[in-house]
This record gives sequence, structure tokens and C-alpha cells, in this order.
Amino acid sequence: MSEIDSLMQGMSLILSAHHLGLMVVGVLLGILVGVLPGLGAPNGVALLLPLTFTMEPVSAIILLSCMYWGALFGGSITSILFNIPGEPSSVATTFDGYPMARNGQAGEALTAAFTSALLGALVGVLLLTFLSTHIARFALQFSSPEFFAVYLLAFCTFIGLSKNPPLKTLVAMMIGFGMAAVGMDTVSGELRLTFEQPWLLSGLSFEVAVIGLFGIGEILCTVEEGLVFRGERARITPMVILRTWAKLPRYWLTWLRSALVGCWMGVTPGGPTAASFMSYSLARRFSKNRERFGSGEVEGVIAPETADHSAGTSALLPMLTLGIPGSATAAVMLGGLMIWGLHPGPTLFVEQHDFVWGLIASMYLGNVVSLIVVLATVPLFASILRIPFSIIAPIIIMVCAIGAYSVHNSMTDVGLMLIFGALGYLFKKLGYPIAPLVLAAVLGDKAEDAFRQSMLFSDGQLAIFWSNPLVASLTSAALVMLFWPLLAKAIASLRSVLGRKLARRPA
Amino acid sequence: MSSPSDTPLVATRWVETGLALFTGALGAILMHGSLAIGIGWGDAGPEAGYFPFYIGLLLSCASLGNLLLALLRRPAVAESFVGRQAFRQVLAVFLPIVGFVAAIPFTGIYLASILFIAWFMWRARRAGQGHRWLTMVLVSCGAALASYLIFALWFKVPLPAGLLGDVANVLGGLRP
Repeated sequence: MSEIDSLMQGMSLILSAHHLGLMVVGVLLGILVGVLPGLGAPNGVALLLPLTFTMEPVSAIILLSCMYWGALFGGSITSILFNIPGEPSSVATTFDGYPMARNGQAGEALTAAFTSALLGALVGVLLLTFLSTHIARFALQFSSPEFFAVYLLAFCTFIGLSKNPPLKTLVAMMIGFGMAAVGMDTVSGELRLTFEQPWLLSGLSFEVAVIGLFGIGEILCTVEEGLVFRGERARITPMVILRTWAKLPRYWLTWLRSALVGCWMGVTPGGPTAASFMSYSLARRFSKNRERFGSGEVEGVIAPETADHSAGTSALLPMLTLGIPGSATAAVMLGGLMIWGLHPGPTLFVEQHDFVWGLIASMYLGNVVSLIVVLATVPLFASILRIPFSIIAPIIIMVCAIGAYSVHNSMTDVGLMLIFGALGYLFKKLGYPIAPLVLAAVLGDKAEDAFRQSMLFSDGQLAIFWSNPLVASLTSAALVMLFWPLLAKAIASLRSVLGRKLARRPA
Repeated sequence: MSSPSDTPLVATRWVETGLALFTGALGAILMHGSLAIGIGWGDAGPEAGYFPFYIGLLLSCASLGNLLLALLRRPAVAESFVGRQAFRQVLAVFLPIVGFVAAIPFTGIYLASILFIAWFMWRARRAGQGHRWLTMVLVSCGAALASYLIFALWFKVPLPAGLLGDVANVLGGLRP
């Protein structure tokens, strides 16, 4: 098995004190941003990005990805102990996690959450280990039209499957594309859309948008809701952990189902949030203890946590193989890869063999490290949340300002962060999604290049997107996804009409 | 979410309308800028404005759709967007942030951060949260010092030091 060989090679690359140290630092920072209101995985990674420019790419990606795992874990701590989801993807964990904590089972709930999170993540990494090479090899045949069709599929899926109104998703996405277009045209090298403003010459960077939209916007929403942290105490002892572990195997079916849901939603741009909700409702539908859901059922913690983490890890599969991130955090990491001078996509597996397998190997190790670190530090991080908001908020804002400044060493970016902050507040309150904006801001240039190349091939004929079976099926799939809500409605009404006709017909 | 007792400040409809007009204007700017550099077919294929023009067009069209939805859908958007009290609280955080950012070019990021954090805590103290003076000084100066150690020294990201940097330079210059 060449995958196993590559994996072992990756393992030998990352098994050093330096990298293990980076993992622990990454996980701790990740738990911190996951726990704090206003900071989440996407902007935690964006804040850390400028600090990684001087690092080796492998070390940098280990730091960033471990921060991602840490943030996913941190989100569950606040959900369970404080009934406040630190991350949107851990909202579903509050449904049963917080009632468990109130019943005095905080330790059990946390252990179950972390353990199922680890198991979920491992399924995602296994998928990555054994599928990525094949997908990358397949994608090596892609040329520009195929790539554009894949991008189109990703963006259309966002619009079609999003819970937000489709027009609002479209607006958010187009703002992202617009941001990417400002500055230098990557094809001709010509400056465009700068309106003779010197501060627009270097373009609008997605990091600033992420920091403003997620960081400042989130703080403003938190203030408006008048958030008060009133948490349950957590005591995690080795006895509690062992007792919970002994109970977990009986939920293997829930775990398996949730992991599959998570992988599917992670690979397609459904993302961890959709995955955790879907998995929770599936678990409730199939559970024997259906009536106990919502009042502290451990199955209601296992299901969303498993799906959340398997979606989080499998979101890296399309990011590495096709250059399409499955979640906002993956989008920011993808931006990082491009800044480090790597080209995400199928060629990455050929040209940057060590980088890819170092990353995959670090995901196995990083998730295990996360579990140990998070179990050991729950009381510490729970006490951080008891620090008054009047201390935490200004410090978070300071960190955001420093982060925005350090992207290009310019004050303009800090000002832009403010504008994006106000926009993020409005977006969140009016139901505009933020993730598509980030995704489009990161991918905009690549999508445009692919589109313009295809147009060059075909002399401006859109028919090139149906010129061979592969690209035709991708483009058609994209259109199906785009109109999926309408199609689903049409099929449903057709069925009911047919059903009525059949019923009317005399037997 | 704003509590029901809070007097409504503005209906969701008008905020929706405003945001739709704003995004629509962004789309118009995009189209205008693209037209200026050419959206057609040049010697080397599509010109630089070719792709952004359609982005702007889609943005404007989608915004128009949102605008119509906001104006036509009666009951759903008539409810309050934000209460007076809640919005005052949002402004009480947002305006200081604006002040903080505006101060950075003059005072540098460290001094601005110290003042910003201290002011935040001082306000909370007036509102009845017991922060002692010592805590306020330690937290605000500690945060600034930590950011200096982490960003400027460890990761070598130069931050605008402003006044404090000038003072440090002068002191450094005095040294023989």
C-alpha cells in the first residue's frame, strides 16, 4: 500500500520535539479561540497566518491545523458547561450537553463529547489518507474548464443547500468575488478596480475580512444579546473518564452514522454546522430513548460532536486535492497555502509530497494530542470564561486590530476591519451567510483564471462547459445543486399530484 | 436578541432595504470600474474587466431581488431589528473601537491598547463591576506588554509603536 508508506514517511517527518510542541501550542490556542466569544476557528487561523510566513510550510500547517482541531474541541466546552456555543457548529451540542451538565454529569458529557469528536475526526483522516491520492490522480486530468466546473459546483452547492435565503447567499458570495478582483489582474498583470486609490493597489485581503466579519461582528452581536456567562462546574477525574469510556461502545451505530454524515457534509461544502444538526436529528429519529433527547441524553452529545469533527477533518480532502475548501476555516488555510507559495490542487500531491503527508500524519497525531490536552485543561479554560466580559472584550479587539495590521503592516487594513465588523453585525442579524464571502474571496482569482482560460480555449463559447462527458456532468451537477430547492419542491408536488391521481383511480 | 420590553428603534424592513441598496451600489461600482478597463475581448483574449463586470451585474441583480423582497414581504420584516437599549449597548462598544483604531496612528498600538482596555474596565467599574485600580493597571499594561513580546519580539512583526516608540528611541539615543 503506497498510502501506508507515504503516511509512515510523513510520520517520521513530523515526529520531532519541535513539531509536537507546535501541536500543543496550536491546540491550546485553538481551544482558547474556541472558548472565547467573538473568536472562532476561521479568524483564529487568520490571526495566526501572518506569524507563519517565516516558518517552514509543514510546521506552519501543523500549527494552523492543530489550532483548528483545538477550536472544534473548545467549542464543545462552552456548549456543555455554559450553554453557549463557542462555534456555530457546536450549537447542536448544547441541546443535550448543557442539560447533562445541569444534572451534574458535566464530566461524562465532556468526556463523551471529546471522545466521539476524536473518533469522528479519525474517520475523516482515514478518508483523507486513502481517498486523497486517488482523487488527486483523477483530478490531474482536469484542465481549466473542468476546474471551473468544480468551482461552480462548490459555489452552486452553497447557494442551493444553504439554510440562508439564496439571494443573500449570492450577494455575500459576489462581494467576496468582487474583493478578490480588486488590485492586480492575475492574467494580464494590469491594475484594476483601484479607482486611483493607493490603498487599493495591493487589493483587499481576505484575512482582514475574516477578522472583521467573524471577530468584531461577533463581539457586537454578543454585546447586543447581553451575554452573561453562568456556567456549570466541571470535574473531570480519571474515574469519570474510564466510566464514560466503558459506556460508549454501545453507541457504535450512532457514532458510525454520524461519522458518515459528517464526512459527506465535510467533503461537499455543507460544512460542520449543517453536519452536526443533521446528525443530531437523525440520532433522535432512530434512537430508542427518543423522549429523553433534549433533557440530557448522552447520545445527543455523541451524534453532533462526531459529525462536527468528521466534517471538519474531511473538509480538508477537497481543499488539498481540488483546491476547494469545504468550510470557512479550510478556506482561510487554503489562503495560507497560497501565501506560502504552494498551489493547492492535484499537483500538490506530486510536487509537495512531504508537505501533504506531513499534514495528514499530523492530523492523526494532532487529534490525539488534542484529546489529551483538552481533557487536562478543561477546568483552566472554563475559568477563563468566568473572567468578566469587560476585560475579555477589549483584549480580543486589540488582538484583532494587531492581526489586521500585521497582514500588510498597514493601518488601512485596520480601518477595513472596522467596516467589515459593522457589515458582519448586519449580515448576522439579517441572515446573510459569511462563509461564502470568505470562500469566494479566497478562490476568486483561481476561479476567474479557470474561467478566462476556458473562454480562451473556446473563443468565448460557453458550450465548452459541456464539451466532454466529465465537464458536462460537473456543470450539470452544479446547475442541479443551484436549483435544488426548486427541484425538490417540484418533485414533491409532482408526487402528491400523482399520489392523488392513483388514489382516485378505482381499484 | 432584544428583549420585548425594549422599545424598537428601527424595523427590520428598513435595515434590509439599506443593506440591499449598499450591496447594490457595490455591484454598480464594480460594473463601472470594469467598464473603465474594458469588459470585451482584447488581443490576448478576455480583458481585465470581463469577469468582474458579471460579478458586479450578479451582485446588483441579487441586491435588487433582496430589496424587492424586503419591501414586499409585509409581516415577516415589520418586526423590530434592534431595540433602543440594545443598540445603545452595541454603539457603546463599537464607537470606542472606532476611537481606538483612530488613535493608533498617533499614539501607536501599545498606548492606544492600554488606554482602550483601561477605559473599558473603568466603565464597567462605574457600572458596578468591581475592578480594582491595581487590576486595571495590571491587565491593560500586561496585555500591551504581552503583545509586544509575542508579536514584535518573538514573531518579528513590526507594530506601530508611535509615541512609546519615539520615547524609546530618544532614550536609546541618550545612551552613550
